Amino acid sequence: MSRYIIRFAKEGYMKYTSHLDMLRLFQRAFKRCDITMAHSQGFNPHPKMGFAQPLSLGYTAADEILEFETVEDFLPVDIKNAVSEIMPQGLIIKACSRLTDNVKSLAAIVDEAEYTVVFPVKANSADYAKILSDYLTQDSIKAYKRQKKTKKMVEVDIRSKIRNIQLIEGENLTLKLVLDCGSTSNLSPEQVISSLMEFANLGIERYDVEVERTKISFDRKLHI
Amino acid sequence: MRSKLNNLLKQVEKPARYIGGEYNIAIKIPENVKTRFAFAFPDLYEIGMSYMGLQILYHNLNKEDDIYCERVFAPAVDMENLMRENDIPLFTLETKTPVKELDFFGFTLQYEMSFTNILNMLELAQIPLLSKDRTEEDPIIIAGGPCAYNPEPLADFIDIFMIGDGENSLPVLMKKYGEAKERGISKEEFYKEIAGDTGVYIPSFYNVTYNTDGTVKAYEKNYEGAPDSVERCIVEDIENIEFPTSPIVPIIETVHDRSVVETFRGCTRGCRFCQAGMIYRPVRERSKDKIMDLAMTQLANTGHEELSLLSLSTSDYSKFEPLAIELMQECKKRHVSLSLPSLRLDTFSFNVLEEIQGYKKSGLTFAPEAGTQRLRDVINKGITEKDIYDAVEQAIELGWKNIKLYFMIGLPTETYEDLDGIAEIARNIVGIHRKSGKGGRFNVTVSVSNFVPKPHTPFQWVRQDNTEDFTKKHNYLREKLNMKSVTFNYHDDAVSTYEAVFARGDRRLAKLLLEAHKQGCKLDSWSEHFDLAKWQKAIELSETDISFYTTRERSFDEVLPWDIVDSSVSKKFLMSEMKKAAEEKTTHDCRYGCVGCGINRRVECKLGGIYSE
Repeated sequence: MSRYIIRFAKEGYMKYTSHLDMLRLFQRAFKRCDITMAHSQGFNPHPKMGFAQPLSLGYTAADEILEFETVEDFLPVDIKNAVSEIMPQGLIIKACSRLTDNVKSLAAIVDEAEYTVVFPVKANSADYAKILSDYLTQDSIKAYKRQKKTKKMVEVDIRSKIRNIQLIEGENLTLKLVLDCGSTSNLSPEQVISSLMEFANLGIERYDVEVERTKISFDRKLHI
Repeated sequence: MRSKLNNLLKQVEKPARYIGGEYNIAIKIPENVKTRFAFAFPDLYEIGMSYMGLQILYHNLNKEDDIYCERVFAPAVDMENLMRENDIPLFTLETKTPVKELDFFGFTLQYEMSFTNILNMLELAQIPLLSKDRTEEDPIIIAGGPCAYNPEPLADFIDIFMIGDGENSLPVLMKKYGEAKERGISKEEFYKEIAGDTGVYIPSFYNVTYNTDGTVKAYEKNYEGAPDSVERCIVEDIENIEFPTSPIVPIIETVHDRSVVETFRGCTRGCRFCQAGMIYRPVRERSKDKIMDLAMTQLANTGHEELSLLSLSTSDYSKFEPLAIELMQECKKRHVSLSLPSLRLDTFSFNVLEEIQGYKKSGLTFAPEAGTQRLRDVINKGITEKDIYDAVEQAIELGWKNIKLYFMIGLPTETYEDLDGIAEIARNIVGIHRKSGKGGRFNVTVSVSNFVPKPHTPFQWVRQDNTEDFTKKHNYLREKLNMKSVTFNYHDDAVSTYEAVFARGDRRLAKLLLEAHKQGCKLDSWSEHFDLAKWQKAIELSETDISFYTTRERSFDEVLPWDIVDSSVSKKFLMSEMKKAAEEKTTHDCRYGCVGCGINRRVECKLGGIYSE
């Protein structure tokens, strides 16, 4: 058994492909390339593969991570070339490497994620640097979150989960968000975006906003 | 348009229905082809992408360098509303081109209740609904598929119908068009050039006259070159015809998402209610080696985790046992699950099912179709109660816990005794389980559908029960089937009535369709969208007498609206089958000797009589 990670970008219309559909897509891609996945034991064996962190429907991504385990050993470069060749337009395989770290799963050690958010308002249409610093210096930042069990919207304070927000140069208002991510503490960019749109009175709809995840970080350095 | 579309997609459910970009799609430069074709499946993406015929025609059109076939489906209601609000015309998935810019907009007609979707899609594409209102600038609207065997209800909307097997005839027609376009001829002139081709029906070349009682008097040609009746296209040799080896692999989940190989076309059993059993004659098989080769190539080119076979009756394939054994071996090697639909349940099939399903046993399905031997003889369904009970006994022994039974109600000559028979079969199966001493959970599901008489079958002349009859029979059955371990499912009664109206309808139904469309009828095959009140309003406003189409018995000498289409099965045969039905006499499977359906006047019937002495 050999473990690998693939790093890939998701662009264009591919952003409308959901997490589960992405899993099936990669499963079939490996099958087409004759790369046999290792399977879990038991009555309902499933292939040992998974994304470090699910990506919301509608987000593009610059550097996502898929980990998987194969039955036979391959050279990472061979995997990269074979899989690259059959990816649909919008999925770009950036690298494949061995995962030598004995971590149980990457999902368990994800710690932080970075996003680039573009709002369709001119960057110079207001003093966004000031607005942003006012937003961040609030004692608490209220956002709404749907509760999993009751499906009710509840108010939460997200301030402590925002690690950093920065203005980025661009014609339109562009922000870089650095947020808690993973199983310990997680903040969805959706909550930041909606509270920010309200705070800054942007007067736009959520569907006008473009989001890209640019980076996923772990709580320690990986051996790869 | 693309940035507008991007915004829309963020607001709808399952946006991937509209993005294209799947594995194995055709990517071409539109400027470099002569003919651009939009293949439309008039229902949602998940339904359309499960249809093998789409993959077959997509493949056969796109293998030609000068043709580009792209796909389009009916949008869901959320997407449709946004498209209308934002003035986004219906577009193709491959290149996001508005359909109205293409040369052809082609619909596959699989089900009568999708007809309103066709009108809705034309409107969304910003194309005039009626042929007579369209100009040289609009695409040519073409349609084919099983419902094209009675094209008349759509005659005012569709410019060209293609009847029969399309994998050869459609690319040929597209090539002719590409060449005609270069000559700069008009649509009308083009229709005249192709009017005599096999399978081509141009409804505008015929005027229909009616008798005072409302029946059809005659079809009068207004263009001499049009044929008196349209012969369907038949691919005689399916062994050597192109079959997709790299089908499109959907990204989102669809109803069926698996590799599929058609083993044979046609059926020899001759069930009298079954349209497919008549219009796909004769039986034409692919060789076992060809099937294996197609299956393995498809699996390699798609990465599918499931393989299935396509035909009207899996076990009737003449080399079924060796084929099944070889498929099982190869699938096991590749970690692919094998799914064999509609198996005849003999000992061999049980062994196969035991092997491919193991502990994950799905339900076992039987389709007796009718509750008594008398009625099964009427419909020529050659299955006996002993067949069922023997198989059920074996199944229970092997650990099956779910038995599914399919029946139809409203069949010709049916009485309440026949309905009692349905309950009797269910009760006896529960009894067999009790006697087996196996214990545990056990369930019999009885699914009842409503009989809809179809054109080109021996039952094309019979009356259909009305909606109230169906409801009464369902209520009766619900009471009778109210027993432990039995689940009863049935279809919507009103839908079956409307389905029947269009199945045997004539050109005058255009008025009803237009009115239904105006009322907002669409996605009528989805129970959550079918709106009876809107349909009733449309009936009223279009002044349609639906009983004329549903509950009226036709006489043998009536001119039927679909007589314009020649299925190559003789009307004489259909009549004699109808007469035998009335006498409760069966007709044997024609593999045991020719029964004279007439198809061999046109093509060789290779499997006819193969089991006779």
